[in-house]
Amino acid sequence: MRSIKTAMLVLWLTLTLSVALGSSVLKNKVQILERKRDAINLNIQKNMESIHVLKAEWSHYNTPERLRKLAYDQLSLENAKPEQIINYSALQFNYEDSQKTNNNKMNHKNLTTLVKAVKR
Amino acid sequence: MGFKVNFSKRQDERFYLPGQEIKISRSAMSRKSYMTESDNVLTCRQRTMFALLCFVLIYAVLCLRVSYVCLGHGINIDTAITTNEFADEDIIRFKNPVKRADILDRNGEIIATSLPTVNLYANTKQIKNTQDVAEKLNFIFPDVPYETFLAKLQKRGAFIYLKRNLSPAQQMQVNNLGIPGLEFENCEKRIYPHKNLFAHVLGNTNVDNEGISGVEKAMDERLTTSTKPLSLSLDLGIQNTIRDALIEGVKQFNAEGAAAILMEAKTGQVVALVSVPDFDPNENLKVEDRAMFNFATKGVYEAGSVFKVFNTALCLESGKVKVTDRFDTSHPVFFGKAKVTDPHGSHKMLTPEDILVESSNIGSTLEILKVGKKFQRRFLQSINMDKKLADFELPETAKPLFLSENRWSNHTMATISYGYGISTTPLHIVSAFAAVINGGMYHEPSLVYHKPHEGKRVVSEKTSENMRTLLRAVVTRGTGRRANVEGYQVMGKTGTADKLENGHYNHKKSISSFVSGFPESDPQYTLIVVMDDPKASKETFGYTTAGWNAVPITKNIISAVAPQLNVKADFDIDRQKSIVNAAYKR
Repeated sequence: MRSIKTAMLVLWLTLTLSVALGSSVLKNKVQILERKRDAINLNIQKNMESIHVLKAEWSHYNTPERLRKLAYDQLSLENAKPEQIINYSALQFNYEDSQKTNNNKMNHKNLTTLVKAVKR
Repeated sequence: MGFKVNFSKRQDERFYLPGQEIKISRSAMSRKSYMTESDNVLTCRQRTMFALLCFVLIYAVLCLRVSYVCLGHGINIDTAITTNEFADEDIIRFKNPVKRADILDRNGEIIATSLPTVNLYANTKQIKNTQDVAEKLNFIFPDVPYETFLAKLQKRGAFIYLKRNLSPAQQMQVNNLGIPGLEFENCEKRIYPHKNLFAHVLGNTNVDNEGISGVEKAMDERLTTSTKPLSLSLDLGIQNTIRDALIEGVKQFNAEGAAAILMEAKTGQVVALVSVPDFDPNENLKVEDRAMFNFATKGVYEAGSVFKVFNTALCLESGKVKVTDRFDTSHPVFFGKAKVTDPHGSHKMLTPEDILVESSNIGSTLEILKVGKKFQRRFLQSINMDKKLADFELPETAKPLFLSENRWSNHTMATISYGYGISTTPLHIVSAFAAVINGGMYHEPSLVYHKPHEGKRVVSEKTSENMRTLLRAVVTRGTGRRANVEGYQVMGKTGTADKLENGHYNHKKSISSFVSGFPESDPQYTLIVVMDDPKASKETFGYTTAGWNAVPITKNIISAVAPQLNVKADFDIDRQKSIVNAAYKR
């Protein structure tokens, strides 16, 4: 009877200590994660704020007048005129046909090179 | 004698309360005398053991679970985040630093945003040497007089604003003073990076960042309840091109102002909306009333001959007038003492196309006389000429001046057919014009990008097709010749009306308009340009009619924006080939 009581007491104490220890470790882990999360959130918030300000600044620098001036000064580009935009059908050559011709020429050239190599 | 109870030896050792030993259950008497003490102990032991076992089991389960979680087999936070097992509020515990949402154009460019700033306020109870503090603050903020600071600091209060929207450098300077009682309040300031460009559309906010005009006011709830940016249908580049053209036009023709609206013909989405003069919403300076007035949406005026478009459309739609009909316009039409004449002289027999090309008032009158006022009134109501465009996302919209039915006489019917008698806004005209040329569907104008639009049919496809042909003729051989941008098949109608001032027409002042659409084969955009009181010059040979001012401005605008809008030009192929050949030879 006494041995059962002792065994029960030991078991009881072991379980209690295990739960207490486990809970403590768990709480500690959760607290560490929460601190990490808070730091990340704060960081995100600061970055968001910075990004927001940068976007506003980017928008300020991208005013059409400024871009037009830069394009003209640096690249000598002006606004496109309607007559500069033409239909595909108005082009002098047929792009697809010329591509096919180019491919055939390439194939012929490769074949010739291969035949020469075999002859050697 | 009496009731005898035999106690055992063990029972004698137990303590009983008085009377407890003789408590006998009468119901139990029949089955068994009563439970013995030995049974009680056994039951108690069994129950204790059972309870203990339960506790042990519960603890064991808890212990196992805790061990399992502690050993890292619980929820994997990284996986949980990526698989969205958590709600956002479990993870994201910060608020967006900016409370008022940004406004973007259709390409995602920011056109209005808020920047976090700070306000400086004083708790004057804590400030002892007010003169010294005022002097120091005046050194940091030279734009605010010393006396202003001193007066504010001498007030008794725990929260007195000294200066709003400090820059980070100014905040640091005030902080470095180390004066107790000077505090900062976090706030935000609305910024419009493109300054005047969207002034009349976006409007403005007050010092508390609440919308007081324009989209800022109309969409105030949307902008403050969600931080998701609001996308408008406007296009930054197009808006800028049109504004530049208008400013140049106002300067060239010495006009009081001008307005233009470019709209998608098949959806009602506004691509650009400009009214000049305008103002810089970033500056809180007092601007003159004319600059604050959005003529494009609030300017109610008599459109003049532009209304002949709607007159011809309704006459063709009624079936009582055909494109092949001919009207004798050689004589004025009389309504009692009043008579309708043509300002450009009489023209004899005109078809509906000629009536538009020659802009004949007599022709328009003769057309509408065949149709009648009921149909005219109903048609104008169907294109919203009688009501305010309430769903348009600007508070600065106006209700047209539309006559009541009992004042709609035959003479009124005639004057309305050529644009007098109804006053309306450029926004009303361009929306109705889009319906006439786009196949017959009227779409309410809108500024919100990709807003679902439901159109209503106002004219048949056949009428719309005919109208496109007639309006193209106005540009190829009529008053709109100067807007004929090669390749884009521009169609349109001019209109010049005397300005109404204090209830009387001022014949020296006029409002000229040109409403147009392009291209004729597949109308994609409609544009209205309105000039307020343009002056005659040598270049215009003394004329102030729309053909000499609003039309060339329209040409400049279409030439510049059509390539940007990716409208397919339809040039003469031989001419194009000659251009390409010339380019290759070079």
